[in-house]
Amino acid sequence: MATLRIDKLNKSYGEAVILRDIDLSIPDGEFVVLVGPSGCGKSTLLRMIAGLDGVTNGDIFIGDKRVNDLEPSQRKIAMVFQSYALYPHMNVKKNMTFGLKFSGMPQPEVDRRVADAARMLRLEPLLDRRPRDLSGGQRQRVAIGRAIVREPDVFLFDEPLSNLDAALRVSTRVEIAKLHKLLKATMVYVTHDQIEAMTLADRIVVMNQGQIAQVGKPLDLYYTPANLFVAGFIGSPGMNFFDATVDKKEGGAVTLSGPNLPAFTLDALHFAPTVGAKVKVGVRPEHLSATATGRFRIVAAVELVERLGETSFAYVRVGDQAQIIAEMKGREVPSVGDVVTLSAADRDLHIFDDAGQRVVVD
Amino acid sequence: MAAMPSQVVASMPRARFAWLLLFFLGPSVAIYSLISIYPLVATMALSTYSSTSTGEHFFVGFANFETLLTDAVWSKPFWNAAYNNLKFFLVHMLVQNPVGIALAGLLSLPRLPLRVIYRTLIFLPTMLSVVIVGFAWNLILSPLWGVAEGALKLVGLGSWFAPWLGRPSTALLTLALISVWQFVGIPLMLIYAALLNIPDELVDAARVDGLGQLRIFLYIKLPLILPTIGLISILTFVGNFNAFDLIYSVKGALAGPNFASDILGTFFYRTYFGNQLQVGDPSMGATVATVMFFVILAGVCVYLFLIQRRMHRYTF
Amino acid sequence: MRPLVSKVGVHAVLGAYTLLAVFPILLVVMNSFKTRNAIFGSPLSPPNAETFSLIGYHKVLGNAHVGTYFANSMIVTLGSMFFVLLFGAMAAWALTEYKFKGSNWLALYLSIGIMVPIRLGSVAIVTMMREAGLNDTLTALVLVYIAQGLPMAIFILSEFIEQIPRDLRDAARCDGVPETRIFFEVIAPLLRPAIATVAVFTIVPIWNDLWFPLILTSSESTHTITLGVQQFLGQYITDWNSVLAALSLAILPVVVIYVLFSRQLISGLTAGAVK
Repeated sequence: MATLRIDKLNKSYGEAVILRDIDLSIPDGEFVVLVGPSGCGKSTLLRMIAGLDGVTNGDIFIGDKRVNDLEPSQRKIAMVFQSYALYPHMNVKKNMTFGLKFSGMPQPEVDRRVADAARMLRLEPLLDRRPRDLSGGQRQRVAIGRAIVREPDVFLFDEPLSNLDAALRVSTRVEIAKLHKLLKATMVYVTHDQIEAMTLADRIVVMNQGQIAQVGKPLDLYYTPANLFVAGFIGSPGMNFFDATVDKKEGGAVTLSGPNLPAFTLDALHFAPTVGAKVKVGVRPEHLSATATGRFRIVAAVELVERLGETSFAYVRVGDQAQIIAEMKGREVPSVGDVVTLSAADRDLHIFDDAGQRVVVD
Repeated sequence: MAAMPSQVVASMPRARFAWLLLFFLGPSVAIYSLISIYPLVATMALSTYSSTSTGEHFFVGFANFETLLTDAVWSKPFWNAAYNNLKFFLVHMLVQNPVGIALAGLLSLPRLPLRVIYRTLIFLPTMLSVVIVGFAWNLILSPLWGVAEGALKLVGLGSWFAPWLGRPSTALLTLALISVWQFVGIPLMLIYAALLNIPDELVDAARVDGLGQLRIFLYIKLPLILPTIGLISILTFVGNFNAFDLIYSVKGALAGPNFASDILGTFFYRTYFGNQLQVGDPSMGATVATVMFFVILAGVCVYLFLIQRRMHRYTF
Repeated sequence: MRPLVSKVGVHAVLGAYTLLAVFPILLVVMNSFKTRNAIFGSPLSPPNAETFSLIGYHKVLGNAHVGTYFANSMIVTLGSMFFVLLFGAMAAWALTEYKFKGSNWLALYLSIGIMVPIRLGSVAIVTMMREAGLNDTLTALVLVYIAQGLPMAIFILSEFIEQIPRDLRDAARCDGVPETRIFFEVIAPLLRPAIATVAVFTIVPIWNDLWFPLILTSSESTHTITLGVQQFLGQYITDWNSVLAALSLAILPVVVIYVLFSRQLISGLTAGAVK
C-alpha cells in the first residue's frame, strides 16, 4: 500500500494543453474519485499515473519513489479498464495469471493469489470460461480480479461501470466499495458520473478543462462548493443560479437583488464584493421549498411537474428565467399553472463572485 | 445472415418474385456459369479425351492422367514443374508471409511517425505489373549491367554475386524472391488491418501486466490474428499454384535454364499452346489443368474444413 | 518513455525495407533518362546534363501501337469494372435480401470462383470464344474479367449490404416503391464506400494481367498495354534505352494513380480484409 503524490503535473500534445499544473496528494488507503465532464483530462491523468502516457512536466510519486520514467509494470499499479480489456483467447484463470507469470512469480504464490481473488469476487465457477462466454458483469469482476492478484500499491479504475446497464452498475458499485473496505488499498477511480463519485469516494477531485476545480470530501463539495463549476456539477438535479448585484452593504448586512430576484438581505460581517458588483446566487432544488421561511423569496409560475413518487420536481419560471427546479415532497404537489412562493434558508444559499469563486458569507 | 424478408416480399406473387430474382441474379449467374464454371467442367471433360494428328477425338478415360503422372516423356517435366511449384510456394510461406507479418507488426505500433509514407511505399511494388517487375529485376541482376554486383560490393559481399537468374540451381529461388518482393504488400495489408482491429485497451492491459512490445506481439496480437494468417496462407497457396506471369516474362515459355524455373502454370501453357519443341496438345493441356485444379481444391478443402473451423475470429 | 534504441531499430528496419521496395523502381526510371554509356558506366547516379537522353522514349513512343494498347487496357479494365459492380451489386442484393430456397447454395456456388482460378478453364474458354466468333476481341477479355471479378465482388458487396439498416428498405416498401427502384435509387447510392474496396480487388489484377490477353488476343489492335510492353521488351531486349524507357512509361501512370489514391486504395483493402 502506498501514498500517491502528484506535483505540478502538466501534459500537452504539441500545442494542445491537456493538463495544467495538477497538484494532488493522496494518503495511503484513500479512495479518490476523479470526476468531470468529457475532455476535462481525468482519463489522461489516470493514464499518466499508470505510466501509459508520458509526462510533459512535473512529477508523480508512488510511495516515496518518483515513477515518471518507470514502465507501468514497474510502478506496482493495477488498472481496471472501461471495456474490461480481457484477453479473448485466454480463459478467466489465464487472464488473471498472465502478467504474474512474466514476473517470475513461483507457481504456488500465483495459485494462492488467484484463489483469494476468485473467492473474493465469486469467480470460482468461471475460471475455465472464455470472456466471450461471460456476461458484462462477470467480465468486469474478472477485470477487477486481474487487478487484485497483482497486489498493487495503487488500484486505478478507468470508468469501469460505463459499459454496464443501470441495475448492474449499482450492484458493481457496491462491490467496489466493499472491496475497498476489505483491501484498504489506495484507489484512484475515474468517472463522469457524479453519483458514482459521491457514493464511492473518500475524497473527490473535480476536474474541468485540464485543471482541478476542487478537492474535498463528498459532503464538503456538496455543502461548500468552491466555485460555480463544482456547484453546478455536484448534485442532481443541478443547482439553480440567479444573477444578482450587490445593492448595499450596511453594518453586518448585505442586500442583493437581481432581474429575477427580489431584494433580500443576508447577515454578513465578511463579504468581499463591493457595492454594485455582480454576483451569482445559487440554491439547490432540494433547498428551495414552498414551506421554508427565509429572507430569500421568489414568486414563480409552475410550468412542468415531474412526479417520481415521494419526491417530485417542479420546473418553475421566475420573471424571464425558466427551468428553475424546486423539489417537492409528498402528495400535495402544485399543478401546472399554479403560482408558488419559494424560499430558502440563508445557510442554503451559495454566493459566487464575478470570477465564479465562492464568496464567504459569515 | 439477414432477418426474415419483410411482408411485401413475402406476400409477392410467385411469378413476380421469380422475375425479380431473374433480373437481379441472372446476368451474374449466367456470365459466371458460362465463363468460369462451364469451361472448368469442359476442361475436365476434355482431359478424358485424346486426339490424333488428324483431329479425331476419342474417349480415353483416365489414360491421360496415367500418362501425365507415370509416362517418362510427360511425367518427368510434370513432376519437375510440380516440385518446383512446391518450392516456389514454400519460399513464399517462409519468406513473404513472415516478413509481411513482421512489417505489419512494426507499422501498427502506436504513434509511429512516418507511418503513412512507409506503408505507401512498401505497398508500391504490389501495384506494378508483373511484367515490369520481372524485367526490372532481370536488368538489375544482370551481370552485364552490374548494378546488383556493385550494390553487393558496397556492403562487402561482392563475392556473393553470381548470375543467379541464369543458373539452374538458383533461378527458381531468385524468381521466387522477386515474387516475394513484389507481393509482400498483400499479407502486409491484411495483417495490418487485422492488427488495427485489436483494441488499444488490450495492449494497455498487457503493458500494465508487464509485457514488452515484442512479447505483446507474440502472446497477444499474434494469437488474435491467426485467422487472418490462415487466410493469407490459403491465398498464397492458390496464387502460387496458379502463378505464370513472372516466370513467363523473365524466362519465356520454356522456363529455363533447362526447365529449372518451370512451374505448373508454365508447364500448362507450354503443353496447351506448344512451343518450338513440341506441338500444342489440348487434351494433355486440359489434363494438366485438371490436375492443377485438384491440387488447388485439395488445399482449399484443407483450409476450409481443417483450419478455418478451428480458428475463432474474435470480434471486438 | 520507450528506450530510444528500439525506436531507432524500428525505423531502421522499416526504412531499410522501404528502400528495398522503392530502389529498383527508382533505378529503372532514373536510368531511362540516360545515354547508353551512362547507363552502363554509372548506373547508380542520376542523369546530369551530359548524360541526359530521351532516345529510349522516342523509340517507344514512336511505336504507333502504344496508344492503341493503352486505350485497350482502359476499355477492358473500366468496362469490366463497371459490369462487375453492376451485376455484382444486383446479385449481392438479391442474395442478401430475398431469401429463397437454395439461396445459400447459390451464394456458395458463386463464391467458388474466389478460390478457384478461372485460368484453369482456359482451354475451353479459348475454344468457346473461337466458336462464338469472339476470338481476338476486347469483348472476350471483358467477359472473362467480369466472370473472374464477380465472386469476390459479390462477397464484399453482400457484407456491405447487410450493414445497411433495414428501415431504409422497409420505409420505401411502405411507400409502395417497386423493388427495382428501391435497389437503384435507395441501396445503390449507399454502396459508394464499397466501390473502393471492390475496385482494389478488381482493377489492378485486370490491368496487370498477362495471361488472358496472351491467349485470347492475337492481333496488335487488341493487345493490352501489359501484353504490349511484354512483347516490346522481348523484342528489344538488347536495346537498353528503349527497354528502360518502356518500363518507366509502364510504371509511371500506375505510380501516379497509386500515390494520388493510395489512401482510398488502402482503406478499401483494409475494409475488405476485416470482413
